[in-house]
Amino acid sequence: MNIAYSLIAVLGTLMVAFIVSLLLPGIERKFIHARIQQRVGPPITSPGIMAPIKFFFKQTIDPTSPLPQLYNSLPIISFFVVVVLLLSLIPQMYFLSGLASVIAIVGFLKVEEVMYMFMGSLSKSVLSVRMPFPDIIKGAKHVQTPRTFLEELSTLRAFRLIAFGSFPVYIALFVSVAITGSIYLTDIVAYQQLNGPILFTVAGALGAVVFFIGYMILLNEYPFAILKTKADVIEGPYLEYAAKYRSYVYLTRGFLMFVLASLFATFFLGIAPNIFNPSFIITIIIALLFPMIMAVTSAFSPIFTYKQFYPTVAAVSILGVLAIVAAFL
Amino acid sequence: MDDNIQNRNVIESEVPMGTVHPAALEPYRVRLFVEDEIVRDAEITVGLNHRGVERIMEGLPVEKANSLTEKICGICSNSHIWNSCLVAEKALDIQVPERAKYIRIIMEELERLHSHFLYLAHGSEVLGHETFSMRLYYIRETVMDLLSMIGGNRVQYGASILGGIRPRCELDEMRLQQIKNGMDLLEERTTAFADRFVSDPMVMSRITGVGVISQKDALRLACTGPTLRATGVAKDLRTGMKEYDPFEFDVITQDGGDVKSQLLMRVLEIPESIKIIRQAIRELPKGPITNRSWEMRDVNLTKSYIEVPRGTLYHSYALEEGRVRNCVIRTPSMSNIGAMQLACIGYHITDAQLSIVQCDPCFTCTDRAIKIIEI
Amino acid sequence: MSLKSYSRGRAIHVMLVYTGGCNGCDIEIVNCIFSPKFDAEQYKVFLTWNPREADVLVVTGPVTKHTEKPLREIYDAIPEPKAVVAAGACALMGGVYKNIHGDIPSEEIAGPVDKIIPVDAKVPGCAVRPQDIVAGLVSALPLLLDAD
Repeated sequence: MNIAYSLIAVLGTLMVAFIVSLLLPGIERKFIHARIQQRVGPPITSPGIMAPIKFFFKQTIDPTSPLPQLYNSLPIISFFVVVVLLLSLIPQMYFLSGLASVIAIVGFLKVEEVMYMFMGSLSKSVLSVRMPFPDIIKGAKHVQTPRTFLEELSTLRAFRLIAFGSFPVYIALFVSVAITGSIYLTDIVAYQQLNGPILFTVAGALGAVVFFIGYMILLNEYPFAILKTKADVIEGPYLEYAAKYRSYVYLTRGFLMFVLASLFATFFLGIAPNIFNPSFIITIIIALLFPMIMAVTSAFSPIFTYKQFYPTVAAVSILGVLAIVAAFL
Repeated sequence: MDDNIQNRNVIESEVPMGTVHPAALEPYRVRLFVEDEIVRDAEITVGLNHRGVERIMEGLPVEKANSLTEKICGICSNSHIWNSCLVAEKALDIQVPERAKYIRIIMEELERLHSHFLYLAHGSEVLGHETFSMRLYYIRETVMDLLSMIGGNRVQYGASILGGIRPRCELDEMRLQQIKNGMDLLEERTTAFADRFVSDPMVMSRITGVGVISQKDALRLACTGPTLRATGVAKDLRTGMKEYDPFEFDVITQDGGDVKSQLLMRVLEIPESIKIIRQAIRELPKGPITNRSWEMRDVNLTKSYIEVPRGTLYHSYALEEGRVRNCVIRTPSMSNIGAMQLACIGYHITDAQLSIVQCDPCFTCTDRAIKIIEI
Repeated sequence: MSLKSYSRGRAIHVMLVYTGGCNGCDIEIVNCIFSPKFDAEQYKVFLTWNPREADVLVVTGPVTKHTEKPLREIYDAIPEPKAVVAAGACALMGGVYKNIHGDIPSEEIAGPVDKIIPVDAKVPGCAVRPQDIVAGLVSALPLLLDAD
């Protein structure tokens, strides 16, 4: 009976999370971007639900890649990692004590970021070197230089982002650890049930701001979208994905938006995602609210190059460290 | 371009950006030679737009040849046909009526407006700012409505003909009122947008100090138009053209030569064009709009230079039995290509794309056959 | 109406390829998608720059010699089902460059688009109007909906 109850809780939460995440790209595009840009915009179901379904019905082509099967399996692995991340937040899974801790969550997020590097280095699309244009001819400059694809530029940028772009999220997560004194999710949730949400303390409020900036960096959303700027790398690591693998890419992004928002709810508000918990409504509300605020910020900003990215991340990280220090005072 | 690289600038790899690319509105090929994402050298290849216009024009009757020049470019179409008509009128001594001259100036300034708005919108898109880009396309629609009201088509309206203006483009009271209202609306929206643009710290930090062309380089590479004026040199051919004598306007310059100066150049030239159009509407003389009493004869090669939104345009041809011979067209983007290639050196790749777009390239205009006289 | 044709009609990805024309049609197509006055996104039409993501290819310009092979490569890279829309007088019949009937014809043009890739919908105009582009896309849609 207990096992059946836990199983229903876990599967039910996953279902609800997935269904809500299908609506998030549409809400972002129609209610925020289109309203700000003073136009009508697509229906809510189009970018989030109908586009992945349509891609399932397209012809599966062989991507041009040195290891096509590995390249095609990467979005599936990405999706699986996000599912595992959500699983580790659900209270029924807290018995896996090591996997339901801050260290494991940091590890899963790191895997997500490393995926971009692998995708970029394996994709060789037609849009850069392979375009049939007479480049190496008499009179051309520097004919001996090795030629790189656009996706390899993306890989370099993903590498840099792994090095410094993930600081804000990790520091924000450690604010909760500093206040509650434990890295295990059971303790973090229990502390907040007793003492009230961390968000309403000074350290927690600063941490929430830092978490939000880190959320935007992790999702490659507009000011921080240097990995996939339209102006030089077009789409970056995703250039060779077609048909059902592109659906997985779309679905992973929506699902990651939901999972990161429920991470915020757990760490800063003490609400563990569980459909039998009435406060799950608050998690869903935060999952709808965060993409909206993110869309407003992204509609009003250009893309940052390293000249602006480095100072922003540095400033936000210093704010995060101050939050941790404030937690000890 | 000389090919020397200094020893301390190592080139690690080449990133080619293809024929089809979101940052490019026309097909061209850019090869950027980078060292760890900083551009050390660049090579821009044009020639994909070559359709052989000067070759087709050889032997065409002169009215047909004039209407063909309009199809060279979709953005600066009125400039080409005006200049082509000016060559024949200069060669055959045709007197253009005063009213027609004023209306031609109105059409040219309207074209300058739509071209500058398109440049700003495309620049915002390459910056990554979709919202500004969409707002600029929306403001530009006012100008497109006026152009389609006067000429009949949004792009390529064919206003000038040999001896004056096409009769459909006559401006009566209702059209003049529409133009006046349009200018008021445009001025209000542009000032609001310019205030918003300049006061945005994220956009300003992205465009200041990027893609710098020094004044010495601009003069050495023979740049023209707003690209040259953004480096501080006050050369505008409109002050020398006799068609523009009755009008008062300022020649705008900026120092700096970076992307910010180039964008601000166009933003500040827009009120000047509005000023010229308003003067033209107020002082529009009465009279006929076409002069059909002239005679065809054979003439030698005649040249004409005018100032178009991107710089100095040059047309020349000779006439033999009413047909065009030996036509040569040189557009301002041809002179600006050298500056484009130089401006992107030393910056990050994303900024390099911005530096190429800052010189307002119109490669469809540029692809003519070139004869190199002296190296 | 099966899920396949319903979903294909509710999310259409369009890729634009310009092959050397005067650029007037390209600007009108960009206007059609980016300008709030026309806004093709309300008709569930999204612009993409990646042939692997596209369903419909919109081609403008008379195909000049150097752009012929890139056009073929991009067409081959699009997964089935796909449709091609040729927009503008140049794409349909070479425009004014092939049809002005002067003494010397142009040798730089590899022909209108349907000599190179098969075309499904043709949108005339010089330059083509933004309203007509959406109409042309919608007319090419039935080919996509039920194709397997």
